[in-house]
Amino acid sequence: MMATLKKYFSLYLALFRTSFIADLEYRVNFLTRIATDIFWYIAQILTFEVLFRHTPKIGDWNLEQMRVFLGVMFVVDGLYMIILSENLDQFSEKVRKGDLDLLLAKPVNSQFMLSLQKASTAMIGNLMLGTAWFIYALVSLPQFEWLRLLWLLVLIPCGLVALYAMRFVMASTAVIFARSENLQFIWYQIYRLGMRPDSIYVPWFKWMILTVIPVGVIASVPSRALLEPPQWGLFAWAVVLAGILIYLSNKFWKFALKFYSSASS
Amino acid sequence: MKTSFAVFLRRNLAFAKLAIVSNLEYRLNYFVDAIVQPTLTTGIEMLLWVAVFAGATSAEIAGFTREYYLSYALWGAFFARICTSWMYEFRMIQEIDSGSVNSLLVRPMTFYEYYFSQLMGYKFITTLVSMVVPVMVVLAFRLPTHFERLPLAFALEFYYLILVHSISFVIASCAFYLNKVYSFTGAKNLALWLFTGELFPLDLMPEPLKSFVIALPFSAGVYVPVGYLTGRLEVASVTQAFISITVGLVVVNLLGAYMWKKGVNVYTGTGA
Repeated sequence: MMATLKKYFSLYLALFRTSFIADLEYRVNFLTRIATDIFWYIAQILTFEVLFRHTPKIGDWNLEQMRVFLGVMFVVDGLYMIILSENLDQFSEKVRKGDLDLLLAKPVNSQFMLSLQKASTAMIGNLMLGTAWFIYALVSLPQFEWLRLLWLLVLIPCGLVALYAMRFVMASTAVIFARSENLQFIWYQIYRLGMRPDSIYVPWFKWMILTVIPVGVIASVPSRALLEPPQWGLFAWAVVLAGILIYLSNKFWKFALKFYSSASS
Repeated sequence: MKTSFAVFLRRNLAFAKLAIVSNLEYRLNYFVDAIVQPTLTTGIEMLLWVAVFAGATSAEIAGFTREYYLSYALWGAFFARICTSWMYEFRMIQEIDSGSVNSLLVRPMTFYEYYFSQLMGYKFITTLVSMVVPVMVVLAFRLPTHFERLPLAFALEFYYLILVHSISFVIASCAFYLNKVYSFTGAKNLALWLFTGELFPLDLMPEPLKSFVIALPFSAGVYVPVGYLTGRLEVASVTQAFISITVGLVVVNLLGAYMWKKGVNVYTGTGA
């Protein structure tokens, strides 16, 4: 077990190094991708800064708390963009062009290769920017208990795993359906639900985004751990849910592969 | 002169029809693109406004009630869908990047008009199909909308699309000089997302940012047509938007023509 983990860890390090060298090759692209996300951050921040000029509270939180929520979201999104997004965004392309054949033939887990083959190292700059905003938001909070940050060591990985599993299942449909690009675009709309605090939604919908389409665990649950008294049941659910989702994503992948017919010539 | 103009029109109509037919080929994809996506966006934005008003201390924000903002969010998502160009801009870049632009350069039409007519055809059919949703929602929930203002709002939107396409042309021209310019599209669209007014009515911004952003031609993408349609703005704002788009068109097209001309000269065709 340990030997396998060590093998996959060193393989990931090698893949990360290769990705970094490849990303540096196109420097303008490298910089534009950082600029793109800066616009995205500004849009998110500006939306709430403007709205809070006209209302003291949105959902359960005030402006200072909303800034923390945005900070958590930027950090989780930054990690997701670095580690996973490029792989999952190009999933259907790999299936259509027959690149999946090569990955299936390798002596490593195909889900691992498909999910982690390419790291977007340009996004490290975005993660740093997101982290800077997060620290600023925490410092602006009156009487913040810094020990609460320890919750993030558990809840951010859980949020990332949930995000990954949902996105992976969505991307895997490319193996079953020939053209599923627009199904992938639906994913971005679902993901957007998680980019708003769960407390802005009506109770039944809030329950939905914490269970059925659990985008609420991505940023809302870690933010609650920082801003509100501990909700043990909710945090335990986030951990259990991450386990369930990763298991289901693997099951779905094996199921989807049964429909796969090679596309390469 | 008259004959050549008729040929020009026929040719561009054919490109527009081509775009309509090719987009309708995969109906599920098209349904998701034109209906499901903007509907989901609308739902998310409307939920946000419900939450904003639930926490607000008064029943009005900047002189408008919750229903006005719900109506704005509803129409805003659909207008934003129309005024954004991803697909055709990517194709334009790809043509230059891959070298297949060679086959277009030798045809009796320009690269600009070939993609412009396709974009217009695609946007025309998307408008026709997707607008069914906001119309039905407005009628069902009696949200404030001046339906008699729809023609002028659409006229402004399609005029704005010319500017959108001209910007796409400038970005595609960058592919003559640089590799991997696809990320320019993302950066540009996210910047426009901010300036069009899809996220919130631009007049909610503090001064001087508000006056600056509204004066830009990008406010004609969502804020002005939707504001006019929902009764937030009057016809004077629409006139102003037409003028700022015209200025934008002159500037962007001059830049585009210069970049294209220089680009074609430095370009070494690699395609078949």
